Amino acid sequence: MENILSILVFFPAVAGLLGFVVDKKSARAYGITVAAIEFLLSLWLWFSFDSANAGMQFVEMIPLIPDFGVSYYLGVDGISLFIVIMATLMTLIGMMSMSIKENVKNMIVTLLFLEMTMVGVFVALDAIIFYLFWELSLVPMLYIVGAWGGPLRVYAAIKFFLYTFAGSLIMLVGLLFMAYVYHNLTGVWSFAITDWYAMVLPVNYQLWLFAAFFIGFAIKVPMFPFHTWLPYAHGQAPTIGSVILAAVLLKMGTYGFVRFSLPMFPDASVMAITPIAFISIIMIIYTAMVAYAQKDIKQVIAYSSVSHMGIIMLGLFAMNAEGISGSVFQMLAHGIVSGALFMLVGMIYDRMHTKEMSKFGGIAAVMPKYAVIFGIMTMASVGLPLTMGFVGEFLVLLGFYEISPIMTILAGTSIILGAVYMLSVLKKTFFGPITNEAVKKLKDLTPLETWSLVPLVLIVIWLGVYPKPVLEPIDNSVKAMLTFMHEKAITPEAKEIIKVPQTIMEVK
Amino acid sequence: MLQPINVSLESLNLITLAPMLIAIAGGLIILIIDLINEKLHKSLYVMLTLLILFIDFGAVLGLNVNERGFFDVMMIDGISIISQLMVIAGSMLFIPLALTSKRFHEFEYPEFFALFLFMIAGFQFMVASDNLILIFVGLETASLSLYTLIALHNRSNSYEAAVKYFTMGALAAGFFAMGSAVVYAMTGSIELYQVAEVLAARMSGAIEPVPVIAVLGSSILLMVAFAFKLSLFPFHTWAPDVYEGASAPLAGYMSVVPKIAAFVVSIRIFGMYIDLGVEWVRDIILVLAVLTMTLANVMALVQQDVKRMLAYSSISHAGFIVAALALDTTEGNTAIFLYYALFMFTNLGAFAMLWISRHKVRRFNNRYDHPYEKFAGMIKIVPMGAVVMGLFMLSLAGVPPFSVFWGKIYVMQAAVNAGYIWLAIVMGLNSAIAAYYYLKLVVYMFLKEPVKDVDTVYYNISKPLMAIIGLATVATVAAIFYVQPLISYLYYMISASGY
Repeated sequence: MENILSILVFFPAVAGLLGFVVDKKSARAYGITVAAIEFLLSLWLWFSFDSANAGMQFVEMIPLIPDFGVSYYLGVDGISLFIVIMATLMTLIGMMSMSIKENVKNMIVTLLFLEMTMVGVFVALDAIIFYLFWELSLVPMLYIVGAWGGPLRVYAAIKFFLYTFAGSLIMLVGLLFMAYVYHNLTGVWSFAITDWYAMVLPVNYQLWLFAAFFIGFAIKVPMFPFHTWLPYAHGQAPTIGSVILAAVLLKMGTYGFVRFSLPMFPDASVMAITPIAFISIIMIIYTAMVAYAQKDIKQVIAYSSVSHMGIIMLGLFAMNAEGISGSVFQMLAHGIVSGALFMLVGMIYDRMHTKEMSKFGGIAAVMPKYAVIFGIMTMASVGLPLTMGFVGEFLVLLGFYEISPIMTILAGTSIILGAVYMLSVLKKTFFGPITNEAVKKLKDLTPLETWSLVPLVLIVIWLGVYPKPVLEPIDNSVKAMLTFMHEKAITPEAKEIIKVPQTIMEVK
Repeated sequence: MLQPINVSLESLNLITLAPMLIAIAGGLIILIIDLINEKLHKSLYVMLTLLILFIDFGAVLGLNVNERGFFDVMMIDGISIISQLMVIAGSMLFIPLALTSKRFHEFEYPEFFALFLFMIAGFQFMVASDNLILIFVGLETASLSLYTLIALHNRSNSYEAAVKYFTMGALAAGFFAMGSAVVYAMTGSIELYQVAEVLAARMSGAIEPVPVIAVLGSSILLMVAFAFKLSLFPFHTWAPDVYEGASAPLAGYMSVVPKIAAFVVSIRIFGMYIDLGVEWVRDIILVLAVLTMTLANVMALVQQDVKRMLAYSSISHAGFIVAALALDTTEGNTAIFLYYALFMFTNLGAFAMLWISRHKVRRFNNRYDHPYEKFAGMIKIVPMGAVVMGLFMLSLAGVPPFSVFWGKIYVMQAAVNAGYIWLAIVMGLNSAIAAYYYLKLVVYMFLKEPVKDVDTVYYNISKPLMAIIGLATVATVAAIFYVQPLISYLYYMISASGY
């Protein structure tokens, strides 16, 4: 199956269209089945993926608008492979644990369309097709937040949409300028990312283009100070919306940096290391402090997301194999862990109809299974060794140490600060005496809830103990990218900083 | 003694006149049918008009590129062919919207259809000539018919709209006439190709140099005239009121078809000035473009009525396209036509959705026909309608892969290629502002609860209207599949005519 990527992208969309016909009561079962098939397809992609090959695989290319250089061009490499699998997995698990009762059918159809756009973004190799999926992903999310969200849902949904839309339009100008430069150099119109990789740009072009792309990606990540839409969106979104937003949509921004900014503008990226590291450290420390000040448990996790995205950004700009691979791995870890945490918060909210920590207390005694899973996910979020969160965070810090030990130490506080606010959540919610009468009547997880969380727990521990099967393909592609960035860099500083990987890294 | 003039019929090349003659003859036939039998139903006239337009379309397709005819007054180049095709296509989309399920006053008169066809002939004359007098005649024929069509919508604010439009139109006509007079005084000709030759010679100093004030005066006067027609800031003030007063489909029509014709003439006139090296013509157009798109966007943000919002939004889109005019490259000119070809379906579709929801007698509230509240919770009343309207709004906002997006990136790419990166950024930022007001309607339709009287949202629905809206939806959604042939055809035709 050479066209498995097309199937992966369009299967959920076709299923979504057909879903309109399915009866309301069966819609949920339909959605779960479709998402499961999609997940199995993505696993198949992994098994037929050649880990030794660092380049693009399963490439498909059909010219769409040849006069303008737009083609339907898909491919997957080690970097995007696992993000795609995570997207399909989180959609499946999110649907399984979904507690929405009204308009279930609309939700299922919307989620399936969203899944198409998510997979599309990560496998698109044509900039216009990438942009197309990137923008389209906003529409279902707008609807999910706006239709099923909390009291301020409309405001939150519009804020989310406008912020990202405005940023990506600046990015669009950058894309068009890239195509123009490519046309000037070669006489051919092309929006293919792989064609753009081959272009060596003068440093001032690189800086401007880096800035244009930065605005688009940074708003999506979200980087400080563009992060203000995120707490609103998370605060108002229904559980499933938060899960998808945190697990997959935020990764689009960081993925954009790996796919576009780093390989296309190596010199500008090297120049941007210090400012970006500075912003990342602000993200890590400042939002961690904000997270600690929250009373609402969901807001804590929302701000912790921003803090973790800071770690990911820092790793990307370490410019060596450890940092970037660790950062891609951390994207997966954060996707799964924060997705699981949002699901857990959603489950307690369904029971208590509040997210305020002061109303809880002593839940561990009433809901032991829930408390165990929440505890494991908290540890993973903090970055305890033998969990998935540790591997990524450690590699990122290791990688960035070569750039600046002082900044690495500052960033390392994320583990301590993370422990502070996450453990205080744990303490306030699960331990201590039961103060609220309603807590006593709580029921532990239902089998469906348990079974949707257990796979995530297993993944978190499995990849924490033995990350090699995932890390190796990522590492291969990252190393190939670094070698090529090193060759492409013009300035001597960039040549020096971008390390050509020599040895095969082993992490056990 | 006067010499007898011998003109052979072949040299007249009458075939170049055929498309306009078909439209005029069609209008006369409709009037004659009305004389014979007064009690015929409007559907007959609608179908007749459609058939006449169909023949007209065929006649335009049969024209050869780069021919002149009728004492060299007619000029059939690539631009004139594609613009005539677009004018006719837009009209064919518009006219079936007369077949509402409720009876509306203006469509009961056969004169409506006759005037409509005369108007199309006027537009066709306008785009198929480079003779300033014939352009003027075409412009006035079309405009006078259009004023009447607006007034036929029997409401007090329709009269207001028609009179307002007429007054502004008359002012614009005056500017056009004065501008042409200055051009004639400078060059002794009103044929643009001769004007260009003489001006080039005089400006290079080969013959007696032309005073700068005359070049300035002629271009400014002509620009004011077309700024009125294209509703550019600060000559746009008539547009929202006129759109509000006119019936919804006519408003949608006005935001596309007359502007295509006006753009063709603008390309011919201002393209000539820019080619002659008069850089400040370009600068003025750029300033007008930026002001138009930005200010119209800001005004659209505060509108409470969807129709007025769409009016301002189409002013803003016009500002977008005028910027492509200033580039004066083949790509820029292609962008103009591509944009309108894609915009036409979406915009007419959106106005047709408003038309469906128009109640015959009562307004939704004291002031407005189509306030946002009217569409609140539309997803619960007519889900299909809400989805379609939502698609149109997303397309207008420039969300890929819907039609207007492709027009937008083509315009922006043309700007980048011509070295105007700041212009592309301004366009991008404006699209972001615009997203807000389109999204507002989407939010009302999908995320709010219905209010009273919502039955009006499907008040006028009928099979022909659904067919037109369906067609517009398909054209909006499937744009990605036909953009390539469209671009290559437009690019070929425009480069063939040397623009």
